[in-house]
Amino acid sequence: MFVPTFVFLATFIYYPLCKGVVVAFQNYNMFDLTNVHFIGFKNFADVISDKNTSFWKVFLNTIEWTFFSLLLQFLLGFVLALTLRKPFRGRGIYTGLVFYTWALSGFAIGLIWSWLFNGQAGLVNDLLIRFHVIEKPIGFLSDPRYAMMSVIATNVWYGVPFFGIMLLAALQSVPNDLYEAAIIDGAGAARRLFSVTIPYIKPTIVSTLLLRTMWIVNFPDIIYAMTNGGPVNRTNILSTLMINKVFRQYDYGQGAAIGVIIMTLLGVYSVIYLQVAAKKDGT
Amino acid sequence: MMTTRKTKKVCAGVGRTVLLTLFLVTAILPLYWIFVTSLKNPKELYTFPLHYLPRHPTLAGYKSLFSFSNFGVYFKNSLLVSLGASFGAMVLSVLSGFALSRLKAKKGKRVLELILYFSQTIPTFIIMVPLFTIFQKLGLFDKLWALSLVYIATVVAFSTIMSRSFFDKVPVSLEEAAMIDGCTTVQSLRHVILPITLPGMAAIFCFAFINIWNELFLAVMLLMSPDKMTVPVALNSFISKAGISWDTMSAGIIIALLPTMIVFGIGQKYIVAGLTEGSVKE
Repeated sequence: MFVPTFVFLATFIYYPLCKGVVVAFQNYNMFDLTNVHFIGFKNFADVISDKNTSFWKVFLNTIEWTFFSLLLQFLLGFVLALTLRKPFRGRGIYTGLVFYTWALSGFAIGLIWSWLFNGQAGLVNDLLIRFHVIEKPIGFLSDPRYAMMSVIATNVWYGVPFFGIMLLAALQSVPNDLYEAAIIDGAGAARRLFSVTIPYIKPTIVSTLLLRTMWIVNFPDIIYAMTNGGPVNRTNILSTLMINKVFRQYDYGQGAAIGVIIMTLLGVYSVIYLQVAAKKDGT
Repeated sequence: MMTTRKTKKVCAGVGRTVLLTLFLVTAILPLYWIFVTSLKNPKELYTFPLHYLPRHPTLAGYKSLFSFSNFGVYFKNSLLVSLGASFGAMVLSVLSGFALSRLKAKKGKRVLELILYFSQTIPTFIIMVPLFTIFQKLGLFDKLWALSLVYIATVVAFSTIMSRSFFDKVPVSLEEAAMIDGCTTVQSLRHVILPITLPGMAAIFCFAFINIWNELFLAVMLLMSPDKMTVPVALNSFISKAGISWDTMSAGIIIALLPTMIVFGIGQKYIVAGLTEGSVKE
């Protein structure tokens, strides 16, 4: 009964994945399809030494995008989960209303927020001016100083409910007698949080953080819709760089090479992350 | 002493309410705003300071969406692809999830799980280039049914993980009883197990539908004809060098959100359960 599922996975996921690795080492350009041949590591070299788009800038952007998105999603998601832990009337409906963002596509969310952050008639500018925070509208997406902040804010908005739901499920698995015992021992709310709750749900935190890291690195949709990597590459991350190599420049070889770089980096990161997490558990 | 504890409790309650309200407002405001935008005329869109309610509500954006830009066709394409592929993924994942749940060989189980989980970490944009070359060679390029097959593959792994966790909760003794009564495995699955796990199946269908309905990059890559575009591809095509005409775009976004919101509304409870089951579990 597995067979159909695994035929699908093999044909449309695993085979293309292997083929993608092959394409990364080929000269494979849509304008030059008669001339497909192996060129060794040239695609990788070209991507890394590209004069127009500094690879290291894109690399650092990717880290910035991932780190701040993850950190803020986690912290705010944790706060949301804690406020939702005790039951109240209408909690089910409330959860639905907050969690609905999960059903939207990253692309649609990027579009919605590029309108909210619009430099002429954006709601964010309107609100900031009304409350006298700023005097003139800011070009949130066209000004290199604000662009990264704006796309990260959008990503945080998207991810907080998801983190909230995951952590809420974990929080509800903490047995109540642990808290009762802690209260009898005279532990305050903060102490209970750090000595009972967090250690108990640590496995969930560790695995959710790893999965979400991979997911955020591999999530070009919001940036693609909002800035497409601009202004002047300020929000260009590895995955948007790859999309543009394919959709704009039709250089599939270089696109595939960036894909291989992303997978390798994430693979190395996961191994290190899991080892560090395991080591901390041991002591 | 009593009073300080009481004030503390009241403060905590107020703080909690404030936080919950903030989260709710932040979550809903963007959607409200895009809805308001879709009802404004192009001139009112750029009237600053902004109107929080449209002064002259109009459906012009929606009209131009369905007349000039053929949105009805794209909506139908998306609906066909999403319904078909979600149904396919649901059937496949019922079979493989059930089998995985009942598999006794520990090592084999581990390997199959690894294949499922690893495929989850492969982003679709990595496989879009090779899929394009494969599709070109096999003559599958620019065909909606072929795109649906790819979509089945992109959601079937997580669907299987979900369905496995639902079947894990059904005791094996129930099937054994059915077997003693002379049912085959497939019969016991159909008549005994499936009815119990129906909510689970609904969750899988909703999960698959939402993911497939929203997918953009593979559709851009594997389709070409204008009359075959799906809804996200159509929205993508509204972005031009000259900018975006937001009256039509906002109407398009609202229409694009409707099906997923409805499906999410129906399946919300089960989706939340399914997602947390699937990933919280170690």
